[in-house]
Amino acid sequence: MAIIEVKDLRKSFGNLDVLCGISFEVEKGEVISVIGPSGSGKSTMLRCMNALETYDGGSIQILGQEVKTAPDINDLRKHVGMVFQQFNLFNHKNVLENCVMPQMKVLKKSRAEAVEEAMLQLGKVGLKEFAHAYPDTLSGGQKQRVAIARAICMHPDILLFDEPTSALDPEMVGEVLKTMEDLAKEGLTMVVVTHEMSFARDASNRVIFMADGLVVEEGTPEEIFGAPKQERTKAFLAKILR
Amino acid sequence: MSLQRCIEIFLKYLPSFLLGIRTTLVLSLAGTLIGLLLGLLVGGLKAIRIDENASSLLKFLKKLFNILATVYIEIFRGTPMMVQAVFIYYLVYMNIFPWDKFVAALFVISVNTGAYMSEIIRSGIQSVDRGQTEAARALGFTNMQTMFDVVLPQAVKNAFPAIGNEFIVNIKDSSVLMIISITELMFQSSSIAGTTYRFTETYFVTACVYLLLTMVTSVILHIVENRMSHTNTSIPQSDTDPANMKLARGK
Repeated sequence: MAIIEVKDLRKSFGNLDVLCGISFEVEKGEVISVIGPSGSGKSTMLRCMNALETYDGGSIQILGQEVKTAPDINDLRKHVGMVFQQFNLFNHKNVLENCVMPQMKVLKKSRAEAVEEAMLQLGKVGLKEFAHAYPDTLSGGQKQRVAIARAICMHPDILLFDEPTSALDPEMVGEVLKTMEDLAKEGLTMVVVTHEMSFARDASNRVIFMADGLVVEEGTPEEIFGAPKQERTKAFLAKILR
Repeated sequence: MSLQRCIEIFLKYLPSFLLGIRTTLVLSLAGTLIGLLLGLLVGGLKAIRIDENASSLLKFLKKLFNILATVYIEIFRGTPMMVQAVFIYYLVYMNIFPWDKFVAALFVISVNTGAYMSEIIRSGIQSVDRGQTEAARALGFTNMQTMFDVVLPQAVKNAFPAIGNEFIVNIKDSSVLMIISITELMFQSSSIAGTTYRFTETYFVTACVYLLLTMVTSVILHIVENRMSHTNTSIPQSDTDPANMKLARGK
């Protein structure tokens, strides 16, 4: 059964139609990369999936639950983690507390349990020794790895990434992609909106190419990057992969 | 005016001055703290955004609250505290119950400060990056948790200099409460001046005491502010700036 089912998703901001009928499914354990030109609705689509944006038409079912009519949206959000372009670490808390506070507030874990989990996940992203540092003393790449650890501490079924490397200096991109690839190998279901074609090609099971609020083409990385069928896809890739 | 006379007056009337200082400090500190609580409530509620698809009753209540809050803020910022003090004191005293004038003074200074604090807190909340709220919501925080655990702590921290400034303003402006015979520093000073007929010397001492109080407060506020801001939330930092690479290098 599909863990995410998006059907004919529509959304407009005023007169501007951002999503014009998006449909796709994601199976458990799949890593999906969503690529496409800026303004094609990728981020908006992702944000609809955990109700940071509302949608006007169509449906999104996560674990069989329609997002729009979920009785408790916070309950659904426990299952759907999100990593942002701008990291959005809580600036007034240190790295450890960033990972501990959500577990205690949302999952009602005890402090000891939460700290243990946080240290485990910080270890995995290689930032255990920065547990007591504050976000503004970290590099962008480190911040994003903390943000990933914070999301993973909640043990989500699905992790959404909204251009996780777009705000990073080029030399920081690698460490974040490496962390994401490790998660992909562990079997976490991931939907990644990205401009990193190397990640889309090497780490994902399926690639969705979006343009102008529509899914233009989807397929395996080999299909999309090796033999794109649509002209729009070819034109985009030609521009990106010079 | 001689400095010698000033010192004489200060020493001779020290108990009176000290009583005045105590009342001034109690009124301004308590007034600032109660005003801050009022500001957190009014400013916080004012800054909360109602969902587009909320019930129309909730939307109506929010609109009503916003109007009332604006009226409150405009009235108390737009009239002198001295006028507020006499008007409110006598209004209640004559028509409702004969209340204690110290309670009246504390009420006036608190409500007056609350009007300013509401705007300080509201702008403090708006200065917190929207991404903070989104991250909290995405993690499953409720609206209340997002406000109290994520947004407000940062808003108060950002607004701390302005909040501290209100305290300093209150130390000075509580002097207008002498109009309802509160024995704060200014009231005490005019009594002393009336007794000694040494107006220049007495008020010179008064000015020095006020200056000392505000300067000490200013220093304390600075220390607290520096303690709080081990991080600066608002200035974006470059990863490639050598000054910021100290920790980044250690990986």
